[in-house]
Amino acid sequence: MARMNTIGLLFGMAFGGLLAAANLHEYDTIHAMLRLDEPDVYLIMASAIAVSAPALWWLERRGVITTFGGRLSLSRSLPERHHVQGGALFGVGWAIAGTCPAPALVMVSSGAMLGLVAIAGLFIGLHLSQRTPAPAALGDGEHREVVSV
Amino acid sequence: MFDLLPDRVPWYVVGPGLGLLIVGLFLVANQPLGASGAYVQTASLIRRGRDVAVWRVWYFVGIFAGGLLVTQVLRTGAEMRSGYDAMREVFPLGFIVPFVFAGAVVMGFGAGRAGGCTSGHGLCGTAQRSLASLTVTATFMATAIATTGFLRLVTGGDL
Repeated sequence: MARMNTIGLLFGMAFGGLLAAANLHEYDTIHAMLRLDEPDVYLIMASAIAVSAPALWWLERRGVITTFGGRLSLSRSLPERHHVQGGALFGVGWAIAGTCPAPALVMVSSGAMLGLVAIAGLFIGLHLSQRTPAPAALGDGEHREVVSV
Repeated sequence: MFDLLPDRVPWYVVGPGLGLLIVGLFLVANQPLGASGAYVQTASLIRRGRDVAVWRVWYFVGIFAGGLLVTQVLRTGAEMRSGYDAMREVFPLGFIVPFVFAGAVVMGFGAGRAGGCTSGHGLCGTAQRSLASLTVTATFMATAIATTGFLRLVTGGDL
């Protein structure tokens, strides 16, 4: 649906803009965070969750109907082995590349060309993960049922 | 271009802003605000796969465009550069390119196995109070901090 595409674009822009505003696209910001030199990124994550978690809890309890996705429903899976394996690998790669999937895109728009190397690696890594025998891992991250609204 | 934004907008603006954005996308589409899934959908569109969530591809483009707006238009504008300043003081570029590439492959593979990344699990999953997401987040935080410490150790504290 065309309207959902526009909404996707706008949400992406707001997301990318906020990441850029906090300099989360800079290797140095992420590296300083993981070296435990600066608390800023942890405070960003904690305050984002502190705002969204209670709001989502309340909205789900009220049974709010979303614009395109029916009744608002949160997804709460139990941890499985692939969550621990995937999380462990993700952390190692995150520390080395010093960027994660969304900030890597902003890295390139900020002119930092090594971001292209990171993006290429991410595409390949994600592709390889979907070729493994285990079914494409679905989780409460956004890899859940495809919604082509 | 315009130099309207400070070099670094403080955490107490960006963090709650991201929180509102997460709530907003749930209110509109009942979907988490993530990033690695957008890569998967974009790759799937390029390979002409079926059941592509095209809006996630627009969202992928939007992240890039939003970054462009902030770094090039609202700020003075950054020139073409390599990035990775702190790493370039320690390693030559010929090492950094394969190193970052290898790290990104491992990261992508991990995000695929775990079903999400820093935004999907770290922010949206924990905001949904998902135990799976909490597990993924705690695990990647631990291994990322440990890996950074290890890199610091082998470079004699330079990185």
